[in-house]
Amino acid sequence: MSVEVLRVSGLEVSFGGAPAVRGIDFTVGAGEIVAVVGESGSGKSVTARAILGLLPATASTGGSVRLDGRELLGADEESLRRVRGREIAMVFQEPSTALNPVHTVGRQLAAVLRAHRDLTREQARQEAVRLLDLVGIPDPATRVRFYPHQLSGGQKQRVVIALALANDPRLIIADEPTTALDVTVQAEILALLRDLRDRLGAAILLITHNMGVVADLADRVAVLHRGRLVEQAPVHDLFAAPTRAYTRELLAAVPRLGHRPPAPAHDTPTDALRLDGVVVRYRDFVAVDRVDLRVRQGEVVGLVGESGSGKSTIGKVAAGLLRPDAGTVTVLDGDPRDRAIRRAIGFVFQDPGGSLDPRLSIEDCVGEPLRVHRTATGTAYRRRVADLLDAVRLPTGYARRRPRELSGGQRQRVGIARALALDPRLIIADEPTSALDVSVQATVLALLTDLQRDLGFACLFISHDLAVVDTLAHRVAVLHRGTVVEEGPHHEVLRTPTQPYTRRLVDSVPIPDPTAQRTRHTHPREAVPVT
Amino acid sequence: MTATLDSAEIPETPDAPEVAVPRRPGTFRRGKGLVGLVLVGLVVAAGLLGPLFVSWDPYQQIPGANLLGPSAAHPLGTDDLNRDILARLLSGIRVDLLISFVAVPVGALIGCAVGAMATVNNTLDIAVQRLFDVLLAFPQLILAIGLAAVLGPGTLSVMIVVVSVEIPIFGRLLRTAVLRVRESPFVTAAQVVGAGKGHVLRVHVLPNSLEPVLVQLALSMSVAVFIEGAMSVLGIGVSPPEPSLGAVLTTSLHYLDLNPLFALGPLAVTAVLVLGFQSIAQAANAARGT
Repeated sequence: MSVEVLRVSGLEVSFGGAPAVRGIDFTVGAGEIVAVVGESGSGKSVTARAILGLLPATASTGGSVRLDGRELLGADEESLRRVRGREIAMVFQEPSTALNPVHTVGRQLAAVLRAHRDLTREQARQEAVRLLDLVGIPDPATRVRFYPHQLSGGQKQRVVIALALANDPRLIIADEPTTALDVTVQAEILALLRDLRDRLGAAILLITHNMGVVADLADRVAVLHRGRLVEQAPVHDLFAAPTRAYTRELLAAVPRLGHRPPAPAHDTPTDALRLDGVVVRYRDFVAVDRVDLRVRQGEVVGLVGESGSGKSTIGKVAAGLLRPDAGTVTVLDGDPRDRAIRRAIGFVFQDPGGSLDPRLSIEDCVGEPLRVHRTATGTAYRRRVADLLDAVRLPTGYARRRPRELSGGQRQRVGIARALALDPRLIIADEPTSALDVSVQATVLALLTDLQRDLGFACLFISHDLAVVDTLAHRVAVLHRGTVVEEGPHHEVLRTPTQPYTRRLVDSVPIPDPTAQRTRHTHPREAVPVT
Repeated sequence: MTATLDSAEIPETPDAPEVAVPRRPGTFRRGKGLVGLVLVGLVVAAGLLGPLFVSWDPYQQIPGANLLGPSAAHPLGTDDLNRDILARLLSGIRVDLLISFVAVPVGALIGCAVGAMATVNNTLDIAVQRLFDVLLAFPQLILAIGLAAVLGPGTLSVMIVVVSVEIPIFGRLLRTAVLRVRESPFVTAAQVVGAGKGHVLRVHVLPNSLEPVLVQLALSMSVAVFIEGAMSVLGIGVSPPEPSLGAVLTTSLHYLDLNPLFALGPLAVTAVLVLGFQSIAQAANAARGT
């Protein structure tokens, strides 16, 4: 391929004796997009920081990082400062914190430009407008005077990319550039990055955990696992024929749209949950606008939508935590705020760490519903908790541990065990796997599916991830700005959507298959996901 | 460009994908926490057991022993009224420990009770907050002088001053902690289950809110030692001839030129005690949220 821009060889980083990166090698060529993928703790972000010399003082490093043949590792602060922003630029995960809220975007761009180049104020402003135009911000001459809060999330990330491009860097490091964004916005940002590479020939080092993003953007992929490079291959080879067991497991764990046979329709006449014309307002803002939703007994209904669509609010209304401003909520022919009805509802939270009291043992966390409703005491209580831990496949020995002594996936199992404690007829799960790594997510989803099949509870599964919903929902409701835009069997809504918004949503989800994903770019609509 | 890396070089690690976080060793069994406990423990032991090993009575006036320097009979010398300084110092520790370990917890208890009550009712909250504002607006020593003027000097006055200084501090602290904990997801989780207010308060809110209170307790105990010292210097502290750390130190200040080593004993004990409390507070604070 072309000229080599970055060569990382034998890179090692450790924090106080604990190794985070244990000897990895890779190169990035000019105009090449190399993705570094891995789950949390794999050392991918530490690698990115080591390249820029941004590690904390407690870190010790070894090996070598060369930019155009110059050694960066161990270089002094002054020479690193000249490299940062000028030759290597960084795009951060969270656009709202990467921008300074008290300065206009034009001023922030000008500051970066003038830090490395000799420009007058006016020249810098013109250059800022040119950059905003380059990253596809409409009407850049006006927007240059905007403050970050006046821009949408996607526009903010475009500005962050413009900041990175300001001094024509040799290499752009993008650390999870689309993780904080909605899926439709993510698609736009990915298109922008691809376009910039084609037009400017910049080399991009993409740090991500999302296999769909990798399939969409990368030329070459390096898979990291626990600080080691497991596999490195061109993107098509990696997805088509992964050579290492870990890569195969990782790819198998990625949820895909349209990979599950259509679920049979549920015709049970009784409803576990029924919302009729529910309206929720926060002051003047209508979060939920006349929503009708039914979850039949034993049925899993996926509620999907982007941030701000009102999906979590509906979850709270269904659980009786929030009283709707209009309309009625019925759970098992009763009011969810009624204590007797509440016994039949289980709730699984998004944040498995925060939803467990740090001072209680796992046994007490799981058994809390039993104690609240005084259903079991003494040995019966302990036996029930042990059964529940067993049901979520946690060792009984964990009963005595505290939540912080468990990993994220294990904590979410504890959350599920607690939700099951009173044999609920309805489970409401609000983004239960969004905080988890993809392989952990796969096991938690499999567990939920098994439990649902065995215990037969109804489930309202709230998620922003269409592929996750498609792996376990019988029916899907798509929420947009507080209203249900489309509802139906999962295979129809998520594979052959009829509404324009659903279609846009489904098309925005990057398919974790480079061939299929890239066909979609060239033939926008015909390419229906492989079945 | 190298297409694929030679896969044979890298050993695969086939261990479980989920790793539990290992248990951390106890906060007070190492580092700062241990140092703090040892320092406070030393002073407490000296105060409780020390007087048994000293043959002099703290109030006994020894004929012909005026402002003597350290000797075998009087390790820290004697004071202006011919009394053994070591004996007075060791008994004085008891007074300070009494103030630290009784007055501070009493103040904390009242403050926490008032602070917890304030979170229940909005009107009550505003009333309590303004009351705390008034109490906090007085500098500690002005409050001490005012109270001593009403109550007269003495150990009880010192304790009342310490209690009234601590009430608003602990009240504020608990109130903020309760308001914060009440919003945490695990409280919502309990509410979803159908738990009542009492259960949520008893099981989740109070135990989690007490964490910062325990840190503040250690900090306040060191502050109590200072308040006692400052009141003694102003002459409104423990009434003579009763010894206390502050009382012994105050007397020593008048005779620095005649017996400079006089001040050494009370200063060292005060320093060790305060350092000990502060180390405990810092260690406890560092252990929070882990």
